[in-house]
Amino acid sequence: MHEKLEKEALWQFGGYGFLVAVTMVMMFPIYWLVVASTLPQSAIFAGGAGELPRLIPGRNFLANAEALAARPEVDFYRSMLNSLVIAVVYTGLALLFCSMGGFALAKYEFKYKRALFMGILGTLLLPTNLLVIPLFLLVSNMGLSNSYWAVILPWAAYPLGIFFMKQAMQSIPDSLLEAARMDGASEFQLYYRVVLPSMKSSLAALAVILFLFQWNLFLWPLVVLREGKYTIPVAISKIMSNDMIAYDQLMVASAMAIVPMFVVFILLQRHFVNGILGGAVKE
Amino acid sequence: MSRQLLVPLLDQVRFKREQLKDRLPTLPGTPLLFLSPFFLLFGVFLAIPVFYTFYLSFFTFQGVSTEALFAIDVGAYQIMIPEMANLQYVGLDNYRRLLTDSVFYQSLLNTAIIFVVQVPLMVALALGLALVLNAAYTRYKGIFRSLLLLPVSANTVAYSAVFIVIAAEGGLADIALGAIGIPPIDWISDGFWARNLVAFMSVWRWTGYNMIIILAGLQTISPSLYEAAEIGGATKIQKFRHITLPQLKPIMLFVFVTTTIGVFKKFAEPMIVISSGGPLNETRTIVYYIWQVAFQNLELGYGSALTVALVAIIMTLSLIQFKVS
Repeated sequence: MHEKLEKEALWQFGGYGFLVAVTMVMMFPIYWLVVASTLPQSAIFAGGAGELPRLIPGRNFLANAEALAARPEVDFYRSMLNSLVIAVVYTGLALLFCSMGGFALAKYEFKYKRALFMGILGTLLLPTNLLVIPLFLLVSNMGLSNSYWAVILPWAAYPLGIFFMKQAMQSIPDSLLEAARMDGASEFQLYYRVVLPSMKSSLAALAVILFLFQWNLFLWPLVVLREGKYTIPVAISKIMSNDMIAYDQLMVASAMAIVPMFVVFILLQRHFVNGILGGAVKE
Repeated sequence: MSRQLLVPLLDQVRFKREQLKDRLPTLPGTPLLFLSPFFLLFGVFLAIPVFYTFYLSFFTFQGVSTEALFAIDVGAYQIMIPEMANLQYVGLDNYRRLLTDSVFYQSLLNTAIIFVVQVPLMVALALGLALVLNAAYTRYKGIFRSLLLLPVSANTVAYSAVFIVIAAEGGLADIALGAIGIPPIDWISDGFWARNLVAFMSVWRWTGYNMIIILAGLQTISPSLYEAAEIGGATKIQKFRHITLPQLKPIMLFVFVTTTIGVFKKFAEPMIVISSGGPLNETRTIVYYIWQVAFQNLELGYGSALTVALVAIIMTLSLIQFKVS
């Protein structure tokens, strides 16, 4: 028995060690990003043999941010605004369309419902990055290229989103809807007054997924947007495509792109986890 | 995606629709009204492009004209499928070219190597972390989970930039390796290492995400299975091999399928490595190559053929993974 306890203690020790070590390694790039954004370029890299790059924050954050702001071809603060507007409008629209569509699929019976649904499921296996060529032709022909709509509309019909809403809405009891109908509610009122309020946590979960998806899009905005309309990923890639990369500016831009999202994500990550798992993870 | 997505997905395929048919109302028009915004956008921006890619892959041309090839009237707005300047039907020429295109094969090989480096490392880490986080003795589970999941929310281009700075000459990676006696590695300009750098970056980003999915799978395993094994005197390792792993199979399948799709559409990371001086030939992934062909050389027809080939490859791989499991 004593031996068994000892063995158990060894397992626990190993498990904790592994967990803490991996967590520290994973957190290090984030810590380093914060530090590097406050350093002058010369301190980000080692100077000579045996010399270390600085591992504690410096005082150059504002200077780096000013240098970044002074580059018109990057226009970083404008790109932050662009990204924010695009992601917010996109999330709102996609939530509306996916929840309406999900409601129809979950709570009505109609012809070709299964065919429609299978069509949506089929596109889940399709990497969206690959539709860029025909989309580009389509969007430029519609006169939408280099506009916010060019980045918002093509992905507003998010297949995983309508699927997710349908699954969630199937849990609403039909008797509840029938009761509302008896009271004279129209079908749209049903959706707006009964269904949406009871779907708050599912909507929040989907919102986090949609926002992250749009926030991270890179290939499509790179193809369809021109100067002045860049989103954050495109603007950062412009800092890097210069012959002499200004690493201090790069780090301050990356920090501003990543760190605020982390704060929001920590607050909302419960929804994100629910979104991908439907509450399957317990404490 | 355990219960919420995976199981319903299978349910939908088999299905008990009779049962649903009696109960749900069939109001003429109403469901279509609710569905129309979604399907309007779905049709225009997803369905048409899918077929259009296939169509374009039989043509060759350069540049875009404003004339319409055919138009769809949706009332308020006319959707026009544009005609190309110098549009020329070439039959299977694009596909023939693809078969002998060494760059295509090299970029496929690069993608495959990234997959082979990334997946075992990532799955092993994710599984290990999930096991520890699922164990009864572990405390502060919520904090560890949140921290490990953080990378999922990192902006792809921004985090790639961070890794470039860490891996650059004189950066932290060299110094950390130097501390344990390993000479500096040329992470960015050496082809072999640049490709591995792309894989390591992806491991950083996706380990936590897959850990959460595996964790959900672990929690669906019935404790009675373990209890029975303990009565039989099974060791921890035996329990892992004969209970945990077989029970996790559907979850692992999901992890492999989504990771395969993720690796085959990788664009941001190789793009950033290449634009900061990485060797094109060894780090170019397949999507990066398609982007070059279509938007740098403006060979949209050939780019479409490459796209069709890639979709076929991804579908085949997914099917094989479903079959094997």
